[in-house]
Amino acid sequence: MRVASELRFRWMKDVALPVLLKARERRPRERPRGESPLGPPLESTRSLKRLMTRHYALARYAEGARPVAWVTSGAPVELLRAFGCYTVYPENHAALCGARRMGPEICAHAEEAGFSRDLCSYARVDLGHALSGLTPVGRLPRPDVLFCTNNICQTILYWFKELSHGEGIPLVMLDTPFIASGEGTPEVFDYVAGQIKDAVPALERITGREFREDRFHDVLRSSIRASALWGDVLATMRHRPAPMTVFDAFVHLAPVVSLRGLPSCERYYEGLLAELQERVSRDVAAVPGERHRLMWDNIAIWFALAPLSRLFAEHGWAGVAGTYPNAWAETTHYLDLADPFGSLAKTYTLIFLNRGLDYRLGLMEAMGRDYQADGLVLHSARSCKPYSVGQYDLRQALAQRLGIKSVVLEGDMTDFRTWSEEQAKTRLTAFFESLDG
Amino acid sequence: MGRTTYLQGQKAAGRKVAAVWPARYPAELLWAHGVCPAEVWDPPAGQALAGAHLQSYVCGVVRQGLEFLLSGGLAVADFLLFPHTCDSIQNLGSLVRDLVHEPKPCLFFYPPRSGGSERAAVYLEAQLRTLSADLTRIAGPLRDGALEGALALGRGRTAAVSELYALRARGGLNASNAEFYGAVRACEYLWPEDAVLHLKAFTKTHAGRQRRGVPLVLSGVLPAPSDLAQRLDGLGVAVVEDDLLVCGRRFARAPLPEPGDPWKAVAARLLALPPCCTTGDGVEDRAAFLAEQVERSGARGVVFLALKFCEPELFQIPSLSGAMRARGIPVLIVETELGTTTPAGMMTRVEAFLESLP
Repeated sequence: MRVASELRFRWMKDVALPVLLKARERRPRERPRGESPLGPPLESTRSLKRLMTRHYALARYAEGARPVAWVTSGAPVELLRAFGCYTVYPENHAALCGARRMGPEICAHAEEAGFSRDLCSYARVDLGHALSGLTPVGRLPRPDVLFCTNNICQTILYWFKELSHGEGIPLVMLDTPFIASGEGTPEVFDYVAGQIKDAVPALERITGREFREDRFHDVLRSSIRASALWGDVLATMRHRPAPMTVFDAFVHLAPVVSLRGLPSCERYYEGLLAELQERVSRDVAAVPGERHRLMWDNIAIWFALAPLSRLFAEHGWAGVAGTYPNAWAETTHYLDLADPFGSLAKTYTLIFLNRGLDYRLGLMEAMGRDYQADGLVLHSARSCKPYSVGQYDLRQALAQRLGIKSVVLEGDMTDFRTWSEEQAKTRLTAFFESLDG
Repeated sequence: MGRTTYLQGQKAAGRKVAAVWPARYPAELLWAHGVCPAEVWDPPAGQALAGAHLQSYVCGVVRQGLEFLLSGGLAVADFLLFPHTCDSIQNLGSLVRDLVHEPKPCLFFYPPRSGGSERAAVYLEAQLRTLSADLTRIAGPLRDGALEGALALGRGRTAAVSELYALRARGGLNASNAEFYGAVRACEYLWPEDAVLHLKAFTKTHAGRQRRGVPLVLSGVLPAPSDLAQRLDGLGVAVVEDDLLVCGRRFARAPLPEPGDPWKAVAARLLALPPCCTTGDGVEDRAAFLAEQVERSGARGVVFLALKFCEPELFQIPSLSGAMRARGIPVLIVETELGTTTPAGMMTRVEAFLESLP
């Protein structure tokens, strides 16, 4: 059975999928690009689509051929890669469902099962998917293991416990204590590193595979490089005019979230960076006639990404920085091959969502300066408490420190039932006018 | 005597006062440093000031706590302690310290989420020592034997609460729901010796045959709105057990291990508390605990008080209620919010539930 699954997986990976994807690309574009206030689209977007389509398509054939792990976006996936796990990110999948405007439809299944509409919509999408099988990607493989770290929120812990309980799937959980102030203590890092070490025998048991240190080191090397490349990609937006926008960054961060530690991820960002550098050298603007530059705080409003992107561009606004895309480039410099477990503990504990708001304020202030932002948009995401609680005061503090104006958009990542497009448009238009005025 | 007057008395007696946000924290360590904790669950406060800092989708415990602080309700406190109970309380602590610039010292405490593992115990003990160093700066150093003394106080208080709960579960307490929760919740601010005296006096005064009523178990964060217990009395409900975060989930139901080392003992006491979603315990453990409470008290059903916007609770309620139903225990889930008046619709649902009970 395992041999058959392995053969099927390899055949799909090496033969069928490349052919199918090529054939798909040869098809003419369904929608010719009409009038747009945006600059020329990034060529790399086609590679991105190919990469992510391949990832989700192949996932269907991973069951039985590879140990399948469902992972949280802030988890040290490098450990799973050392076991050859095929990884699926429910958060990335939820974002995809949001972008395809399937959020409410899938959430409804979770809500019917008793999950409150006030809960995180990523979680509701995921639980709704578990209950209904609804997904825009055909099918997600059943996980052999759930791998979760609570550095991004505590919600993830309740959510993954619920998946584990409902589906009877083993859960490996890493507890990363909140760093209220300072840079963390040796006790914290020892605690986290110890748990990562404890995860090794647990994963050996679950996957039936031996932990290979050489492979682990290769993965770490690849992860460091991919994150560094992603950091360089984001840094191109410091250029005036910015060669891409934060809305592009939301789309192009998928590989660093989902494929970090794999060669395909590195290759992808090498290509994207080269394209952006070339744009910088020629002053190609993502928003022609860029007049203002803004920073975005919080996760994207996935279902409104395209209209928001156009609206900003129509007013000459380029989103040039975002706290969310930056998270995958923020702490990887702590990774050290000489101390893999200790440095993984640091890397994953010290992300900004796991630190006090004074740290976040400093980070946003630095980003505002580095990227020369003259406006700030705060997405107050109804279902993301760790990201949103504190935003009102961050806004005031940043106004004082950077002298920039800001606007709060009340919304959500995937559930558009809480979103009023007209209201958002009116607020943003008034905001743009206040800056121009 | 009101809470603030009592706490002022504590200060006059030379103790410090800490305003402590929910839910789990090492009270023994605070007592050992001569600090009287006063917990901030559902203080009487409006919404006017907190609204400038918090979105409307933040839970009432966080909103009202901030409102109470900003309106001067916690002036008596010498410092604030924020246990890391959920994402919202985590950010509230940081917000108060870093962005609202509260002048009182703000301390933090992180209960580990990795269950009863040895690593969690070691980390917890390290944290207790860090917290003790912070407390030393505010309230002075630990005296010899102070931690052992505080542990004895904790044992005494737990025994008094346990006795009261056991008496109620056996039908031997002639007290209304409102009287019972008024007595138990006084422990949120009383010095432990005073709490024991208070609980013992209450037990003595109210020992006797239980009032007639439909025996039920309450589950959730706290009995809210504030008139809920009274309204349940009015409907003829006799709450006989609870796994409320504010009450029944905060004292160990079984004798605890007592390691010789007092630091390890404080850590062990925290790790031995009943299963709770806020510390990452799974539904299975909590369902087993809840079913045990139903069985030992002879309750005819469980009412889940689903506090609006409380993620830890809201995530577990579907599975937890399902687990109860699977055991043949009738359940009712009602959404609650802080405030003073229980909505009529909620009471109608409870009434209908009572009528439906076999």
